Amino acid sequence: MKLAETRLLASCAALALLAIASIGGPAVAQDVESETSDVLKLEPPRPEWAFVDGGFMVDGTAIFDTKTGKMKGMVNSSHLADFAFDPAGKYYYVSETIWSKGNRGTRQDMVTVYYTVDLKLQTEIFMPDRILVGERKQNFIVSDDGKWGFVYNLSPASSVNVIDFAKRKFVKTIELPGCAALIPNSAVGFSALCSDGSMATVTVAAAKPTIAHSAPFFSATEDPIFENFAYDKAKQETVMMSYTGLIYTAKMGATPTISAPWSIQTAAGYANAGQTKPLDVAWYPGGRQPMAVHRLSGKLYVLMHMGEYWSHKAPGTEIWVVDLASKKVAKRIVLHEPAGHIEVTQGKEPKIFLNDEHGNGVVLDAETGKEDHKIEGAGAGVIHVLSPA
Amino acid sequence: MKKIDADALGETLLRRFAGRTSRRSLLSRLGIALVAAPAFPLLPVSRANAAKADRSPEAKTAFARTAQTTDDTQCNYWRYCAIDGALCTCCGGGVHSCPAGAEPSPVSWVGSCINPDDGKAYLIAYRDCCGKPMCSQCGCDNTDRETQIYTPQLNNDIIWCFGTSSMQYHCSTAVLVSAAQ
Repeated sequence: MKLAETRLLASCAALALLAIASIGGPAVAQDVESETSDVLKLEPPRPEWAFVDGGFMVDGTAIFDTKTGKMKGMVNSSHLADFAFDPAGKYYYVSETIWSKGNRGTRQDMVTVYYTVDLKLQTEIFMPDRILVGERKQNFIVSDDGKWGFVYNLSPASSVNVIDFAKRKFVKTIELPGCAALIPNSAVGFSALCSDGSMATVTVAAAKPTIAHSAPFFSATEDPIFENFAYDKAKQETVMMSYTGLIYTAKMGATPTISAPWSIQTAAGYANAGQTKPLDVAWYPGGRQPMAVHRLSGKLYVLMHMGEYWSHKAPGTEIWVVDLASKKVAKRIVLHEPAGHIEVTQGKEPKIFLNDEHGNGVVLDAETGKEDHKIEGAGAGVIHVLSPA
Repeated sequence: MKKIDADALGETLLRRFAGRTSRRSLLSRLGIALVAAPAFPLLPVSRANAAKADRSPEAKTAFARTAQTTDDTQCNYWRYCAIDGALCTCCGGGVHSCPAGAEPSPVSWVGSCINPDDGKAYLIAYRDCCGKPMCSQCGCDNTDRETQIYTPQLNNDIIWCFGTSSMQYHCSTAVLVSAAQ
C-alpha cells in the first residue's frame, strides 16, 4: 500500500471514531448515562501536602497528599521557577522567567499568581529580573504577613526585587552586594547570608533601604552554610547547617542573634567533622535540600552520607533526626535509596518527603521511619510544605 | 596553608577577560558584585579546629586523586573538578569551545583544579555555552571548593548565560586561565 493511501485510510478511521464518540454510537446500552468532561477543584493547601518542583529544566510543581501518596494536582511553573505560598492559603506564587519566542525573544520576569482552589492564573506581577538557578527556597520568600514578596536577583550584580502582594505590583529593587539566601524578617523586611560570613538585615520600608551586617559567624568558602535552610515563623527563628555539619540557630529581628554552632557528628557521638584532616572520611550532610525542621517537635531531619569534605551535593543514605533542644541525634533512619531532597510536613503526625535525582519520591512516617508510599515521577526538584501560622 | 580567596579568583578572571570583550555595561555590573566583595574581606576562620582541615586549592580531594589528563569527555578530566552540567566536549564542542551555533557566556564561575601531571593547581573558568536547548550528553556535577550563591563566582548551579543573546543553557566548558596564585 502506498503511503498516501495509508494516510487516507488512517484519517477515515479517525473520523469514524470521532463520529461514534460524538453520537454515542449504536453499541452503547440504553441505561448507561453518557459522561461529560469537567474540571475538579482542590481544597486550600493542607499541612499534609507536599509540593514538589519538577527539577532542573522541568516545568510544574506537583502536589501530593503524604497521607495517601496520591497526586492532587499541579501548579503551573516554568523551569528554573521558584514556588512560594500565600500564608492565608488563597494563592500560590511562582517567581519565573519566560521568553516571548520560547527560547529567545523578549525576556519577561514575573511573579505569577494562582488561586489555590482551581489553580487558575489570577495575575502576573512583572519585575525587572531574577536569578536563573532553581533548586532554592531562599531565592523567593514571602513575608510572614503575606504582604510582601522578595525575589533574589543576580544579573550578575546582586539585588532583591520587592513585590507588594496587596497592590499586586513590583515596588523597587534593593542592591544587596555580596549576599544571597533570603530569610523572612518580619521586624524589618528580610535578612540574607553574605560572602563575608555575616548575616545582612535589610530594612525595606525606609525611603532608602538600609543594610546592617552582623559580625561574621561562618566561613563562606571553607565551611559554607547550605541554602535551603529552615525558617520557623512561629518562633521567628532560622535553623541552618554548614557543609561540615555545624548547626546554627538565628533568632530573627532588627538585630538577629546567632547562636554558637554545634556539630551534628558530636550530637551523634562522633568527632566533629570540621576537625577532619584531608582524606578523612566522615558522616557529612549533603544533597540539594539537605535538611528540614518539624517546628512543633523541634526535630531537625538531615540527609547524611559517608564521604570526604567537598561532597556536599552527595545524596543522603541516612536521615539523622536531631533533637534541637537536647542537641542529640535521637534516631538514624537508613534509606533504601539515596535521596537528594528532604522536607517534613508540619502537622501533628509529620511525614517525611524525599526525592532523588530521577524524580522518584518516598514518603516516610517521621516518627517511625517506616516507608508509607513510593511515588514514581514525583519530581526531582525542591520540596515545599505549608508552614504553621 | 593557603586559603581559598574568592575575591582573588574573581579578580584574576576579570582582568584576563577584560581585554577580550566590549561588553562594558555587563562588566560594569559585574564589577559591582566583585568590587563590593573586598568590603567584606574573607574572614579569619574563628573555629579553633580550622588549622587541621585543609580546604586549599592544593588539597588532594577525592576528585584530585582520581583525575586524569587524557580524555576531556569524561567527568574525571582534571579541569572538571567543579563543573556542573553537560560537557561541551560531548555536545559537538571542545573543552574551551562552544558547539556550532551556541554562544559562550562572557562571565563564569571559577574553580581551582590540580593537574595530576605536574601536581599544580590551576584557575579554571567554567564558561557556559548558551542559546540552545540543554545538551543531554555527559552530565557531570563535581564540587571541589564549590560554595553557595552568596559567593556566586564559586557556585556551579547558577545559569551563567549573562550578556548573551539568549540565556538558555546548552553546555559547559572549562577554560584554562592561569596557574592558581
